Amino acid sequence: MKEGAGMIAKRNRIVPILFLLPSLLFLGIFIYMPLVQNFYNSFFNFSVFSPTKEFIGFSAFEQLFSDKIVMTALINNIKYAVISVVFQVAFALVLATILEDKLFRRIAPLLRVVYFIPVMISISVIALLFGFIYNPQMGLLNSFLELIGLGNLAVPWLGNATTSIYAVIAMSQWQSIGFITMLFIVAIQKIPKELYEAAEIDGAGKIRQFFNITVPQVKETLFVNMLITITGAMLVFNEPYILTNGGPGTSSMTLSVYMYQQGFFKDNMGYASAVATLIFIVTAIFALVQIKVSGTGKDE
Amino acid sequence: MKKTLFFSILLLLLTTFLAACNSDEENSASADGKVEIDFFHRWPNEPRKSFYDEKIKEYMEQNPDVHINVDSVLNDSYKEKIRVLVSSDDLPDIFAAWSDSFAENLVSSERIMPLNDVIKEDEEWSSKIIDSQFSGFTFDDTTYGIPFTVDGKAFFYNKAIFEENNIEVPKTYDELIAALDQLQDAGYSEPLVEGLTNTWAISHYLGTIFERVVDPAVLDKDYNAETAEFTDEGYIEGLEIFEELTSYMGDVSTAIDHEAARNMFAAGEVPVLYMQFAEIKMVEEAGDVEFGFFDFPEVEGAKGDPTALTGAPEGWMVSKNAPKETIDFLKFLTSEETAAEFTKTDGQLNAIEGAVTEENVNPASLEAYELISNATSTAPWFDNAVNINVADVFMRGGQSLATEQTTPEDILKEAQQEAQNQK
Repeated sequence: MKEGAGMIAKRNRIVPILFLLPSLLFLGIFIYMPLVQNFYNSFFNFSVFSPTKEFIGFSAFEQLFSDKIVMTALINNIKYAVISVVFQVAFALVLATILEDKLFRRIAPLLRVVYFIPVMISISVIALLFGFIYNPQMGLLNSFLELIGLGNLAVPWLGNATTSIYAVIAMSQWQSIGFITMLFIVAIQKIPKELYEAAEIDGAGKIRQFFNITVPQVKETLFVNMLITITGAMLVFNEPYILTNGGPGTSSMTLSVYMYQQGFFKDNMGYASAVATLIFIVTAIFALVQIKVSGTGKDE
Repeated sequence: MKKTLFFSILLLLLTTFLAACNSDEENSASADGKVEIDFFHRWPNEPRKSFYDEKIKEYMEQNPDVHINVDSVLNDSYKEKIRVLVSSDDLPDIFAAWSDSFAENLVSSERIMPLNDVIKEDEEWSSKIIDSQFSGFTFDDTTYGIPFTVDGKAFFYNKAIFEENNIEVPKTYDELIAALDQLQDAGYSEPLVEGLTNTWAISHYLGTIFERVVDPAVLDKDYNAETAEFTDEGYIEGLEIFEELTSYMGDVSTAIDHEAARNMFAAGEVPVLYMQFAEIKMVEEAGDVEFGFFDFPEVEGAKGDPTALTGAPEGWMVSKNAPKETIDFLKFLTSEETAAEFTKTDGQLNAIEGAVTEENVNPASLEAYELISNATSTAPWFDNAVNINVADVFMRGGQSLATEQTTPEDILKEAQQEAQNQK
């Protein structure tokens, strides 16, 4: 059998598609199909107990915009995002720079491990642990405050409507900062040493070096990390669910916890789908804006 | 040729997926010919976990051809998990269930086995179960569950502390408040505690308070999802009573769970706790305080039932697709012997006649048992009595009241709207 040139060209076109096929199939079945189905579900009112669905059009979305709890949850998610960007991105970058500095060369490997350990502990374990730390009677935090004479600042951190969400956020920072720091360390290690040497000869101090060399050089990583933390903050579920279950009242509710409660606790699957759609839209907008602003991939 | 290859790969991938989706059809008979029964209960904590593990072992020894798989998660998580399971084909063969609206919800999935025939066929077994306890599991004359434990809720008080301060057992709500004030003056800054992070604990309070202050006819109407309105002024009064009570619970209550509150009571740190009879034994084991109990006192001038007892049975339900051996296991679980041993181990009272006696319970529990058996009317737990969406408004509202974030009027307004949405 003889194959013509056209046949070979055709085969070459098919081969890459064949390689892509498995991943496309997986993405399609496990990501895109549920996404479309979720959007479809949000137009119905239905219960997990009954197989029938009642078409209600856009009224779940109307309800969504008049729902005070959704507003509370959205604000909490935004607080989560802002605080996470400050601590996990800005502070982690500073931390990474310090760890990579010549002064810390000797103990840096040890510190890297110390900062990274929380990332490897299961979030459920951490949440239960922090439950003890925040405990009003025998918690470490309140005992510590009393020890240093600030006993009047001690409050039931998770039981107080004004502090509960911050207590939850604080735990997240503690856990995730090591991960982001690690990503920054990798980025900083790739910066050519000549840049720092040249800057030193020119008389630039450490702070000047940080802003004029480190920050511009890790810009790509900076944007990626921001994307990770912000979308992560919009989706946060485990931490508030285990620590407070959105309480007291609805003070530490986040969108994901609210979605879960609507769906599996109150059995409003349609409304839960609408909340899920909202979460998707919010995260998608954030991601698109960030990708647009950062111009990822166009550098260099 | 190439196209065939392409499609055959596609087909191969698809079939693996579809096969993976269907693989758990035949799990009721395992490879070695044993019948498998999936058993799901809500007590991963002691002493019940060991009790059921022990009973399962005993049953499997008696019936070597049956294998029982057991799984358990705690209260609030159990509610969520069973709701998810009942909507799938993975519903366990036999599982624990609360009565009333909780049971009704499960029944509406049409995956629960009606038990009328089972009850009729074996009178020797079924006649031993206290008749009145079936009502919470019966819908449209069909019984879907076998009641097992019975319960009630009352204020438990530390006898020594009450005597020390010359406090009489309060007979009215005003006397209760006076007693709490007196305790506060005596140095107990939080004379009453509750684990307010457990929303069910709030619903127990609210349910009883509403029984006391709202006209029973109005309650009947509002506890039915079809006619619920929640417009009665009594609810405001009830929420105000709860708000007043939370002011004696202190800041600490908003951040702890009921178990922590119970331990504080058992350690003698707190003089009063609103608690289930089921917990009597746990308090006795956790500390050595001498305690008595009194029903939630009458609210003077209110329209409600002054003596209605809050408490509903819990029992077992069977999946429609369960193997027939499950029924036999169900009878084993609710037999007089198991029940007597259960109450002896756990302290919780049960609905099986002759299984609660002086021999296996302490005097306090026996007194409680008589109170339950003789109560003029029993009211189900509030979160089981009304639609969960409405209950959630009250439960979260209760948390917000305790942290001073809302008012009774706002909660009721929200509840009215939610009741409207459910029609």
